[in-house]
Amino acid sequence: MLLPKFEYDEPRSIEEACETLRTFGETVKPLAGGTDLMVNMKKGVVRPSRVLSLKKLKTCNRIEKLDATIRIGACTLVAELIQNQVIADTLPALQAGAKALGSPLIRNLATIGGNICSARPAADLPPALLVYGARVVLHSQQGPRTVLLKDFFKGPGQTVLRGDELLTAIELDRPPANSGAGYLNLGIRKVQDIDIINGAAYLALNPRDGTIEKVRVALGAVAPTPIRASLAEQALQGQKPSQDLFVQAGQAAQQDCTPITDFRGGAAYRKAMTSVLVRRVLETALKQIEK
Amino acid sequence: MSEYDVINSRLSRLDTPDKATGRALFIDDISFSNMLYGAILQSPLPHAGIINIDTSAAEKLPGVKAVITAKDVGTVKYGVSPARYDETLFCQDKVRYVGDEIAAVAAVDQATAQEAVSLIKVDYEELPAVLSVEEALAEGAPQLHAEYPGNYTAQVHQEFGDVKAGFEICDLIKSSTFVNKRQDAAFIEPPGCVAVFDLHGALTLYSSTQVPHYVQRTVAMVTGLPVGKVRVLKPYVGGGFGIKASANANELAACFLSMKTGRPVKMNLSREQVFKLCRARHQFLHKMTTGVKKDGTLVSLEHECYLDGGAYSSFGIATVYYAGSLLGGPYKLQNMKYDGYRVYNNKPPCGAQRGHGGVAARAAWEQQLDMIAEELGMDPFDLRLKNMMQAGDVTCNDLNMSSLGMEECLQTVQDGSEWKKKKGRLPKGKGIGMACGFFVSGAGYPIYRSDTYHCTAIVKLAEDGGLAQVYTASAEIGQGSDTAFGMIAAEALGVPLSDVRVMSGDTDMGVDLGAYSSRQTLMTGHAVKEAAEDVKHQVLEVLSKELSVPVQDMSIKKGRVVFHRQEPDFSELRTRYIKEHRGWTDNPKDEPLTFREASRIAYLARGSIVGTGKYKPHELGGKYKGAAVGTSPAYGCSAQVVEVEVDLETGQIRIEKMTDAHDCGLAINKTSVEGQMEGSLSMGLGEAMFEEVKFDARGRVINADLAEYKIPTAVDMPPIETIVVESNEPNGPFGAKEVGEGAIMPTIPAILNAVYDAVGVRIFELPLTPERIYTAVQDYHERQKAS
Amino acid sequence: MKRIIHIRVNEQEYELAVEPNLTLADLLRDELGLTGTKKGCEMGDCGSCTVILDGRNVNSCLILAIQANGSSVQTIEGLETEAGLHPLQQAFVEKGAIQCGFCSSGMILSGKTLLDSNPNPGEQEIREAISGNLCRCTGYQKIVEAVADAGSDYQKGQGGE
Repeated sequence: MLLPKFEYDEPRSIEEACETLRTFGETVKPLAGGTDLMVNMKKGVVRPSRVLSLKKLKTCNRIEKLDATIRIGACTLVAELIQNQVIADTLPALQAGAKALGSPLIRNLATIGGNICSARPAADLPPALLVYGARVVLHSQQGPRTVLLKDFFKGPGQTVLRGDELLTAIELDRPPANSGAGYLNLGIRKVQDIDIINGAAYLALNPRDGTIEKVRVALGAVAPTPIRASLAEQALQGQKPSQDLFVQAGQAAQQDCTPITDFRGGAAYRKAMTSVLVRRVLETALKQIEK
Repeated sequence: MSEYDVINSRLSRLDTPDKATGRALFIDDISFSNMLYGAILQSPLPHAGIINIDTSAAEKLPGVKAVITAKDVGTVKYGVSPARYDETLFCQDKVRYVGDEIAAVAAVDQATAQEAVSLIKVDYEELPAVLSVEEALAEGAPQLHAEYPGNYTAQVHQEFGDVKAGFEICDLIKSSTFVNKRQDAAFIEPPGCVAVFDLHGALTLYSSTQVPHYVQRTVAMVTGLPVGKVRVLKPYVGGGFGIKASANANELAACFLSMKTGRPVKMNLSREQVFKLCRARHQFLHKMTTGVKKDGTLVSLEHECYLDGGAYSSFGIATVYYAGSLLGGPYKLQNMKYDGYRVYNNKPPCGAQRGHGGVAARAAWEQQLDMIAEELGMDPFDLRLKNMMQAGDVTCNDLNMSSLGMEECLQTVQDGSEWKKKKGRLPKGKGIGMACGFFVSGAGYPIYRSDTYHCTAIVKLAEDGGLAQVYTASAEIGQGSDTAFGMIAAEALGVPLSDVRVMSGDTDMGVDLGAYSSRQTLMTGHAVKEAAEDVKHQVLEVLSKELSVPVQDMSIKKGRVVFHRQEPDFSELRTRYIKEHRGWTDNPKDEPLTFREASRIAYLARGSIVGTGKYKPHELGGKYKGAAVGTSPAYGCSAQVVEVEVDLETGQIRIEKMTDAHDCGLAINKTSVEGQMEGSLSMGLGEAMFEEVKFDARGRVINADLAEYKIPTAVDMPPIETIVVESNEPNGPFGAKEVGEGAIMPTIPAILNAVYDAVGVRIFELPLTPERIYTAVQDYHERQKAS
Repeated sequence: MKRIIHIRVNEQEYELAVEPNLTLADLLRDELGLTGTKKGCEMGDCGSCTVILDGRNVNSCLILAIQANGSSVQTIEGLETEAGLHPLQQAFVEKGAIQCGFCSSGMILSGKTLLDSNPNPGEQEIREAISGNLCRCTGYQKIVEAVADAGSDYQKGQGGE
């Protein structure tokens, strides 16, 4: 499998990268881990005349724990999301999503930014990021802008990212005490799979009465983009967590999704599994709070 | 303790140090100076007439050295079985599947070759395509081959005994229908080759093949070169599983391109091409009806099978016969009727894969036997034991079970899995299942009708006697055959394995039909044993003369000459040996006479000491049409227990444990035997659980990569317990027989039966995806509610 | 246009001119003759091209050679020492963990990255660590056993660097 010919740039700063993006427009493709781009270039699906390696962008490689937020550089390896103590301690659902992504070999190349920008409906990281209320930082020559991740995806492979922009970081508010989150995925194989469905949930309980103060539920592979399950969220908001409630939320989530039948799975099955998955991730989230 | 010095042990394989260090050369690791790269143009349409092929733009591209089409190479028909040579290297007037070969290019590098292929302009006239058995057999369906009307590659109609009369005395008659899915071999090494046409008019083809001999014959036939001018060599091969067991278009195209350019030509297949060009397992639709008496005695089996064949025959005739014949055993069954249909359609052709033709049939039947056992209130083990054949029994279709350790296999897996403690006592969602199976130990007949020896072997002593060189044309494809033959030669000769060097995979070394139908250990093993014994005899003959000791009073063991009676004075021989090796520091002193000394003396007396061996099966049973498929000198057999856990909410299955016992006759190398069992189970698990080559409505493979076509990963495989059961196979060398394919037979039905035990619903379609399990369970509950 | 890169492969420094579209797998195989790195799918699905890049096991078919500029690469050829085979290589040979051998290079290198960080892994950890390396011959049983065995050697101080 040969790669087509292209020019190669390795900018040393975000500014330099943005300048290249502006100059060459649609003909340039940013290269982070390459686990998507290289495959698509070999298949001839994309044919950039210039590849922009993000390898030297040091500021995009860090995970920073700030006062109220956690900032994850877009080029952070998925493997690093698993190994990093800050992620393990504060964003366990993201760690679970990272563990479910690809294989160890892929996780050693793939980046969090790449997983977001490729905008696959079944991607493993977006559901967890969505339930943590993640924001993405998009840079252009005009400077950075911040977009809520839930507003980022437009369709399969499509996002609000402009041709002259680069996703440089992901920002998340540090979850408060009394909160928990979980991620689950369902595939054919146990690993290295493209999920038939995946999902995450985040719960924050009111410390006084134990009711659900804040809730987010997100699902993947049941719509053209990773989605928030707003009907499920409504069913949960302000309620006291219980098995019955989680079952109801799972049922409500079926109305949130619009799955398709493709060669990987049927719409009816996906819909049915939405309930199971939502109930189970809620249980995981609750268990974490109780821990 | 084993009575043997070398075999029946766990010696490390000869090839693995090279493979563990990256030294071992596979096809893509081989290059020649001035080598060109080839690429093939494949049809984008499933069925179309070819109006015109314009290669002029491709020819003009700088760096292109040759462009060939049917006009250049002719339209000699080839295939696997001479009874159905239905392919030409390149399509001349029509293409029959997406991937059908139209032209090939040789250029100075890969990029140029691929670009040139894209410049070849073909005008097609699209024809209606048939993409399934049903479509192909429908009234007025488009026909693929004018010579084979009705889109039938082959039909089989057999009856042994009287099935109808049998049913009349039955207490229970059970019918079911079962379908598997097209499986890809998914060997990790995509096939490739390098053809080198030399200045003497001889062609050497290096290829990633299981069958150098058949490739040699096909290349000779299609190119018109004499067989003697075609040499086929295989380097190390990254797995074959049946799919590399016939000549392919890639190999033939490389040969023609090298002949045209006079330069070496390398041609590799991409992973995507593997899914199109490589002929893997068929989809089988089985309809079976079995009749039994209430004590569990099997009486009659009526069986109908449809094979979704694809555009050409490949192995298809053999496959459709195997799908019926391999149900003749291992149970005593007097009456068996089989109607098999192998059907053409506009998808890539299917061929042979591990457990050729028998895997889905076995799955369907062993599942049905489980249903029968349940209905009769019998334990599945008891039903099988009740009907089990004994060594020496002959099936109704004339398969002679010359050795059969099936009962012992059943006993050991029953104990090893703690079946009795678990069966019927597991919580909901957990299940345990079992099944049996067997497979040929080498096809009784070559693929082309011939009286040829199936293999020849040469054992040659180095002139100092320190090394025995074993030459065969057999194919080491990862199964460990080189090591097995080294061990057999060492045992037969009486020397340690370290004193044997094994060369194989080269048609210049002899005739060997190759690595398919689990034949090499038994067949090539015989030839190697005979050649080694020949060498030993020659050495002992010279010694006999020199020492005046009768040959029968001497033998060789562990590299020493053993005198059965009084030890003669051999000091004169030793002096002569030492004289021949002046300056050597390791000359023998006080030890007994060594094989090395004896063979040096033999060399001095006779020149090269070369022993030869050969093998073909004795007259095998079966005079009916199709008896050649299924008859074998021996049969290996397996029993298996699988334990599963099913997530009843999602349908996800976790295989918790697999226990397999296999009777391989005498195990030449026990570690290798276990390796074959473990690999078989893994391939069976993949077919049962995940694997399916999928097509779109235009006949294109949707999942032509190893991401979307899912074979088991290390996490999907449970711990496997393998138990090697040894019988003494009278027709095998040292009592050895097959293990490479028999062990896959029980895997799928054992999983099916375990899943049933866990969920209470029978599934009659593979693979057992979560969705299929979930839906089946839901449907069952709906039906329950309704009734 | 070719660019100059500096790359350390199996402790050897190289200065090489490469086209941007050359993969690391092809650089190793075609330019350096290190054909122990295999190409089974070239899409990152099978793991037969696994190398250790700056301490991490990766699919070399998904990396541009030019991206490896300034990096250190270990291939299967770099595991042997003067003392002989690496404990993992030895364990693979002794346990019968190699059949066709096409996945072995990658499998051994993935095993090595695991043992380098955790010389006493459990069975499940081993299975997960090699889950990106597909094998069609062995059912993984003897591979898992070999990695565990080599881990014991590591602990006895015979392995590691």
